[in-house]
Amino acid sequence: MTPNTANPVTQAVEVPVTEHPDVIAGAPHLIALREVGKHYGNVIALSGITMDVDAGRVTCVLGDNGAGKSTLIKIIAGLHQHDAGTFSITGKDRKLSSPREALDAGIAAVYQDLAVVPLMPIWRNFFLGSELRGPLGALNVKEMKRITKQELLDMGIDLRDVDQPIGTLSGGEKQCVAIARAVYFGAKALILDEPTAALGVKQSGVVLKYILRARDRGLGVIFITHNPHHAYPVGDRFLLLRRGKSIGYFEKTDVTLPELTGMMAGGAELEELAHELEQVGGQADRIEEIRAAEVVPGA
Amino acid sequence: MTAVGTVPAGDERLAARSPVRKLLGRPEVGAVVGAVAMFVFFAVIAPVFVQPDSISTVLYGSSTIGIMAVGVSLLMIGGEFDLSAGVGVISSSLTASLFAWYFSTNVWVGVLLALVFSLGVGFVNGWILVRTKLPSFIVTLATFLMLTGLNLAITRLVSGSVSTLDISRLDGFAVAEQMFAADVPVFGITVKITVFIWIALVAIASWVLLRTRVGNWIFAVGGDENAARAVGVPVTKTKIGLFMGVGFCAWIGGMHNLFAFNVVQSGEGVGNEFLYIIAAVIGGCLLTGGYGSAVGGAIGALIFGMANKGIVYAQWNPDWFKFFLGLMLLLATIINLVVKKRAEQK
Amino acid sequence: MKRISAVMGITVAVAASALVLAGCSSQGGRVASSDDGSSGGTSKNSGLTIALVTHAAPGDTFWDIVRKGAEDAAKKDGVKLLYASDPDGSKQAQLVQQYTDQKVDGIAVSLAKPDALKSAVQGAEKAGIPVVSFNSGSDAYSALGILAHFGQDESVAGEAVGNELKAQGLSKPICVIQEQGNVALEARCGGIKKVLPDTETLYVNGTDNSAVQSTVTAKLQADSSADTIVGLGAPYTAVILKAVKAAGSDIKVASFDLNAALAKSIKAGDVIFTVDQQPFMQGYESIDSIVLYKQGGFVLGGGKPTLTGPAIVDESNIGKVLKYAEDGLR
Repeated sequence: MTPNTANPVTQAVEVPVTEHPDVIAGAPHLIALREVGKHYGNVIALSGITMDVDAGRVTCVLGDNGAGKSTLIKIIAGLHQHDAGTFSITGKDRKLSSPREALDAGIAAVYQDLAVVPLMPIWRNFFLGSELRGPLGALNVKEMKRITKQELLDMGIDLRDVDQPIGTLSGGEKQCVAIARAVYFGAKALILDEPTAALGVKQSGVVLKYILRARDRGLGVIFITHNPHHAYPVGDRFLLLRRGKSIGYFEKTDVTLPELTGMMAGGAELEELAHELEQVGGQADRIEEIRAAEVVPGA
Repeated sequence: MTAVGTVPAGDERLAARSPVRKLLGRPEVGAVVGAVAMFVFFAVIAPVFVQPDSISTVLYGSSTIGIMAVGVSLLMIGGEFDLSAGVGVISSSLTASLFAWYFSTNVWVGVLLALVFSLGVGFVNGWILVRTKLPSFIVTLATFLMLTGLNLAITRLVSGSVSTLDISRLDGFAVAEQMFAADVPVFGITVKITVFIWIALVAIASWVLLRTRVGNWIFAVGGDENAARAVGVPVTKTKIGLFMGVGFCAWIGGMHNLFAFNVVQSGEGVGNEFLYIIAAVIGGCLLTGGYGSAVGGAIGALIFGMANKGIVYAQWNPDWFKFFLGLMLLLATIINLVVKKRAEQK
Repeated sequence: MKRISAVMGITVAVAASALVLAGCSSQGGRVASSDDGSSGGTSKNSGLTIALVTHAAPGDTFWDIVRKGAEDAAKKDGVKLLYASDPDGSKQAQLVQQYTDQKVDGIAVSLAKPDALKSAVQGAEKAGIPVVSFNSGSDAYSALGILAHFGQDESVAGEAVGNELKAQGLSKPICVIQEQGNVALEARCGGIKKVLPDTETLYVNGTDNSAVQSTVTAKLQADSSADTIVGLGAPYTAVILKAVKAAGSDIKVASFDLNAALAKSIKAGDVIFTVDQQPFMQGYESIDSIVLYKQGGFVLGGGKPTLTGPAIVDESNIGKVLKYAEDGLR
């Protein structure tokens, strides 16, 4: 596998699309983006984005704030439409016009604010938009509560009471419910928008575990984050974004964590950071490591 | 941690919540406590308050507010206000009366036209809200002013004065009067039919809210509109539907007003919209939406009715009437909050 | 989607027309009622523009009759009538100011709050616009330089009611006020109370008939010592009557003002009497007097208010009045 030799920090690169050896040759990707772009008025939010998502694999989208990550999710989740390039789902070109359409196509998104209604009970949130109905159109409450409890258990979380308002759960538990919901309703692709951003170390670990669970159940996961330390352990592919453009697209085998971190952080910013740290008497050695690694990625 | 587990029968961490505690957690409980407190208070001060005839009077006074409070409560749970509800009731009465009188038709033609009109007003309120994305407070304030003006202007245009004309001689009046304004004898006392209509509406609304998917949507749209939209809930349809629900209640209220009193004054109805909102809030509906119940709104209307009539039964100085009314409502709401906090802490 | 809406729209329209045609009533309604007898045609065209500014709340039937009287006089004299009202004193003053700015030929105003209207009225007079007043303010008008006053204060009407009640041997009335804080209504009850100190006031929400009915019922249930109940407006008396009948009480019912339904109730003996201030005359004379002043400097009253009542209307003299009430004149 030839590594990317061009300096990924300063130039937009030609990214060769390489197939993972486990993917069945010839089978279409679950989701495939080729040269996708989006602009709002005269602001170019995204351009030339290429990435793949396959069942049972995790694709991580990395980038700092303003990189275009949320625009990317919105396109895939059906909230916005792309203006350039192709967006295909299992080989067919699509342009999604609503979240409902995305859901019907098997794409479920779990947002930062989680798309849950805090005051409503867990089971109501679980089935929101896809409620089970019995005779006369009445809700089948008993069944919904049972399924909710069961599904959460399958994801490894044992909740005491599915009747309590979902707002009373911890951040990690809320994420789990949202993921379990997506898994249950037959999502084929799962988009997770910065699930660990607001969580502590332990809770983040829990969420990463759920991501792997979802992957093991056959979903294609798109994991968006600005933290390479979270992305690296669970990801199979990594797309790096900066200011709307791709600055790298790698398989896991082709890149190491320090390289990833280095590319994300960027050389110039690191110099500054190292300098500032030295000024206040901090430890700059870790920064040195990263800078050293950044110069020759993949070597 | 088991990868796939069976639901353990009887989770030992879940202390069996006694039915009483479960009950205390419901949104209406605080309102019920407030209502009971108010009843006891007036029963002690004015023994005539507990006479069956008096109770019937209080129920009647509560029911006309209560019928509207059902629609307004649901709307508030869905996160919106309707300030045009008060005059909307009168607009409905006027539509039926003026049309039937002017064209000398059977009153039922007017009644059906009024239904279409009221549902239409609800639709317009909801549609403008969704299109302009302005706060519902502003949108319905505008329609409130427009309807108030229309009430006055069109009444004058058709009847030449500020009130409608006698329609009691038109065909169908007797039947309509029975349907919308009859006195129903119950165990020797007469109860106005509006009380039964009120109870029926509360039952239907509660069922819709708690046992149908539309109810789930209503909670979601009021609790977090964006979250609801993201999971595919039809937010627009739900909101417009809620406003049309208020319109339906306004029609019922309007028809009662028309067939109970025959002549409708074009300036009526102004000011009642706040009473409906107050009833909903006392009953536990959050002003910000996403929480509440139809039963709560009904209890709020009952509290208002008891306070209103209780002051008369107690024969307090009438100059202080409004002050006492406000004080009673404040106390009832505080009791509601205290009970709710207690229930949550336990 | 658009096609479905169009089809639905047509269906609704067709169904609606069918419903209307099928639903014609065999009796009652506009077709059955006689056309209202408005006064004779225009006899002269004065070319004047006169403003009528009252303190009426929107939708008030008493003031509606005042306006009718003014409109009749305006028609007869070929006057362009401008009408505006506001129960708030300062806002009423602003309306007078606006008409002064528009340089109308005359202003007729009701002086519920003379202090609030003082400067606006004097401003109009300074601009050479003749001002007359009516209804309220009979002891304040001349100090403001107003030419003439038509009508009597509400408290005078109240006293007349009190005296009539006293003459009939009644001493403990309930006075039902449909708008707490309304100066005119409070004055009426005040007048009754002057004559009968045992008068009690009951406040009801006048914008809600059901509330009026239930509150009156509650009062009757709570207090059986009152011998009369008085409504301060014909529509309210109708609701009070309903409540009295429903409660099966034998309390007597009296009223202020007049309309067709109330006249019928008096004839049937359900209401013992009403006091009529002839609001039609108040409006009519106000406009007519300005026209006469402009044309010949005529002034009515001789420095004193020209009273238009109060006249007690009961079973004995209801006969003639009934017809006029049905025509909307009384």
